Amino acid sequence: MSLDREQKEGSEVLLMGNEAIARGALEAGVRVAAGYPGTPSSEIIETLSRFSEAGKLYVEWSTNEKVAMEVAAAASFAGLRSLCVMKQNGVNVASDFLLHLTGSGTRGGMILITCDDPGALSSVNEGESRHFARLMEIPLLEPADFREAKEMTRWAFDLSEAIRNVVMVRSVTRMSHASGNVVLGALPAAGGKAQFRCDGPVSDPDRGPMISTPVIAKHRLQQEKLRKAAALFEDSPFNTYEGPETPELLIITSSVCTLYSREALSLLRAEGRAAILKLGTTWPLPPALLKKHLRGAEKVLIVEEVLPFLEDQVKILAAEQAREIGIKTFYGKNDGTLPMVGELNPDLVAAAVGRILGIVSPAIPAEYREKLQSLTAFVPKREQTFCPGCPHRASFWGIREALQRDSRGGFVCGDIGCYAMASLFPAAGFHTAKTLHSMGSGTGIASGFGKLGPFGMEQPVLAVCGDSTFYHAAIPALINAVHQNADITFIALDNSGTAMTGFQPHPGLDVNAMGEVSPKVDIAAICGAIGAPVVTGDPFALIETRETLNRLLEEPGVKVLILKQSCALSPENKEKKRFLVRVDEALCRGEACGCNRICTRIFRCPGLLWNRERKKAEIDEVICAGCGFCAGICPAGAIRNEEAANS
Amino acid sequence: MRDWESDPAGQESGRGGQKELEEQVLGAGLCTGCGACVSLCPYQTIYHDRTVVLHSCDLAQGRCYAACPRTPTDLGSLRSGLYNETDCTPELGALKGFFITRTTDEGARRRAQHGGTVTALMALALREGLIDTAILAEGGEGLLPRSITVRDPEAAGMPGGSRFVVSPTVAEFNRICLGNAAKIGVVATPCQALALAKMRKWGHDAASYPHFREVENGIEKLHLVVGLFCGWALSWQKLAALLKKKTDLARVTGMDIPPSRYHTLEVYTTGETVRVSLDEVDPCVREACRTCGDMTAEFSDLSVGSARLPEGWETARSWNQVIVRTERGMDLLELARDRGVLEFRAAPEGNLEKLKAASLGKKRAAASRNGKR
Repeated sequence: MSLDREQKEGSEVLLMGNEAIARGALEAGVRVAAGYPGTPSSEIIETLSRFSEAGKLYVEWSTNEKVAMEVAAAASFAGLRSLCVMKQNGVNVASDFLLHLTGSGTRGGMILITCDDPGALSSVNEGESRHFARLMEIPLLEPADFREAKEMTRWAFDLSEAIRNVVMVRSVTRMSHASGNVVLGALPAAGGKAQFRCDGPVSDPDRGPMISTPVIAKHRLQQEKLRKAAALFEDSPFNTYEGPETPELLIITSSVCTLYSREALSLLRAEGRAAILKLGTTWPLPPALLKKHLRGAEKVLIVEEVLPFLEDQVKILAAEQAREIGIKTFYGKNDGTLPMVGELNPDLVAAAVGRILGIVSPAIPAEYREKLQSLTAFVPKREQTFCPGCPHRASFWGIREALQRDSRGGFVCGDIGCYAMASLFPAAGFHTAKTLHSMGSGTGIASGFGKLGPFGMEQPVLAVCGDSTFYHAAIPALINAVHQNADITFIALDNSGTAMTGFQPHPGLDVNAMGEVSPKVDIAAICGAIGAPVVTGDPFALIETRETLNRLLEEPGVKVLILKQSCALSPENKEKKRFLVRVDEALCRGEACGCNRICTRIFRCPGLLWNRERKKAEIDEVICAGCGFCAGICPAGAIRNEEAANS
Repeated sequence: MRDWESDPAGQESGRGGQKELEEQVLGAGLCTGCGACVSLCPYQTIYHDRTVVLHSCDLAQGRCYAACPRTPTDLGSLRSGLYNETDCTPELGALKGFFITRTTDEGARRRAQHGGTVTALMALALREGLIDTAILAEGGEGLLPRSITVRDPEAAGMPGGSRFVVSPTVAEFNRICLGNAAKIGVVATPCQALALAKMRKWGHDAASYPHFREVENGIEKLHLVVGLFCGWALSWQKLAALLKKKTDLARVTGMDIPPSRYHTLEVYTTGETVRVSLDEVDPCVREACRTCGDMTAEFSDLSVGSARLPEGWETARSWNQVIVRTERGMDLLELARDRGVLEFRAAPEGNLEKLKAASLGKKRAAASRNGKR
């Protein structure tokens, strides 16, 4: 079940964590929501967009997280409740603005929702956004279940208005993407009119200009707000204690780690020996609450993801209160009781608690382990690679051929999007992409490489960049490359949408998050205006792509190639096949010299199968997207494209 | 028999695949750019005049390695399989006859590099149905020649002219083999002729190449190899860089090297003739050519080169010298005489000996290079 307009107040519905967060914002009367797509955060804006309505709720996918935060801040300045949403590294992008926003303060309740990805399940980093709350001196809330995700989000707006500053709500993948029952609350009537009052003195929080100066005065004020938040946190219902008053071990935890801790104590049957202090308000910590519970325990284990954020704060408080609460023994990340990288799980927590309390962890029953092993034999082996019909596979095939022909050791600077797989899984990108960092960084790095010619570097430098990434962060890097006269070939892999995160619209499309018609911003026109020569091609036209690239690689300066072909999974391509692709077995050379399975060994589109018995290639008609590109790589002409009826 | 060139890559004779080809030939700078490993499979291609590996192939044995003229080759058994042993000479390979010829078509002669013998023979072979398809090198764009396939005798009559840069003729042969041509004639440099000879061997000896049998290789379609004398070929990239400093590359119409005492590469352009000292040209020679001891395309049916005559270069440049090696070659030359396509003149005293000495000189230089490697 997902959240919809028809669900009544008081009904209990199964919601994904991100939907619960969105519902909390709706119940708080949010008026403006902005974000940039990024797993595991994207469903929050997607859900809110379904509730968007002119004058009641404005929702946008912004070009990047910093812009999203600025858009949300404007609504707050105009007295409306607003939120911005991003994944962990999005906060890095927004952080420059956040530093100044927390100095100026806010008016209408404004929250920053960040969904972190411990274990980097859908990321190329394991960034910890919680540290930003401390760095920027704003309150931090962490929900531990789905009900709380909704309630905490709703309350975060009240808190923001109480302290006149941004409040950060931090979720994690296992919270955002898991589901649980939530009782719906009332949706408020439409709020007041948007107006930015700015005719008062700078010291007037209601009518003054919104600026972070005078810095010292504003900074002092900001810290007073933080103390006020800490005071409110002392008796917050989001902080709970369960277990004996004087436990052998006190577990202090937050977020989904609360669930892992409960499960671990249950596994070990240690509920009578250990207690759990579950914190929903993790920065700034409420000192009195901590003092009360630390007093009763000698041993303290802090369970959290990923870095020892809570652990450090608890230790500081414990040190400050040592005279009253006594000396404690701490367990956590710093002493290695729990790993400082990756996700936690109940087994890891149980093992840690078992070690501290001297309980032998119950091993996984033999029967269960055997069952697991017998089942895993049935799981088909799948490599992470581009989808059938993905234009990126064709683009990298063309890039590979051009670079091999060029023979100067050229390489691709990768970037963030589906095409990051070219860097992550070398076979997927035919061993062309060799760097991968943050959004837009491929172009910036290429710009730097492109100036190393005088140092003897002879390798051609390419950068790839998706369409959404282009708007997000590549433009400044491209401008830099042009202005510095760097020798690079910039390839925009334009698949007409933010494909990796679920096809959210971006400025290159004529529709926005609310489904309204929006002006398109043209990549070629931007590149041309920057001053780079632009060639546009179709990645499925292999020979043209290859020839164009080889020509561009010979030319100095910045050259732009836009390879445009919509994603195979895009709504307009779904269920449609351009070609019915067949293999003529009589022509297929299979493993013989002259082919050696280039289609299934090197090209490796999942739509191509190798029949081990017949020693011939086959098409998996169920998943073949019908792009027909493989017909062009078969040396024997055994792969045939027939015009499909629905093309 | 272990010839100077039987093991140019310095490896024991053996079989290999792409990996060995990369290690022993491409990576070792021994690739001639002949194209033998191209168009057989999707893994290698020619870009400009370089052989490029596009993707890796993990077969332990490949036709790429087997056909390459720079992988270990038992030249003795190759020669005895294709030529009459009594014809074989140590200096020039099989030798049935030695002739001085030129085309009787004066217009063609004016356009030809030298005596126009090669184009006349290929056109004749097509006209008479000895072959139905001819693979020739043609001046492509810039300094880069290309291999072309011709079925029309009139088109074959258009002379090629040398750029001293290799064209991937064997790659074109491999490509054409897959089509419906039945009798193919090829104009080949020594390395290309050797590659074709190696392919003929596996055509005859399929049982020892189990990997190749599943694919029709088409080598039986090869009906005529006209060899070209060759001192060396130049790297396109290096030559282009050199000539760019001297003239506008777009205006280059042809090139030639007069007899050795001039020590000059003549570059003909639409405006003037640019003379470049061979000292400047020498660094542009492909590394692979420095270890090649075959000057006269010994694995052809007949080989053609520029003539040396007592009257001097201006006369000699409009004649060719021809080494006939096989019955087929002899039949073609005699047919050319009968049809009046070629004009013959007596070979001057000592010409064959001079050619043998020159050929031996190249073998010695290559052997000394190979010794140093």
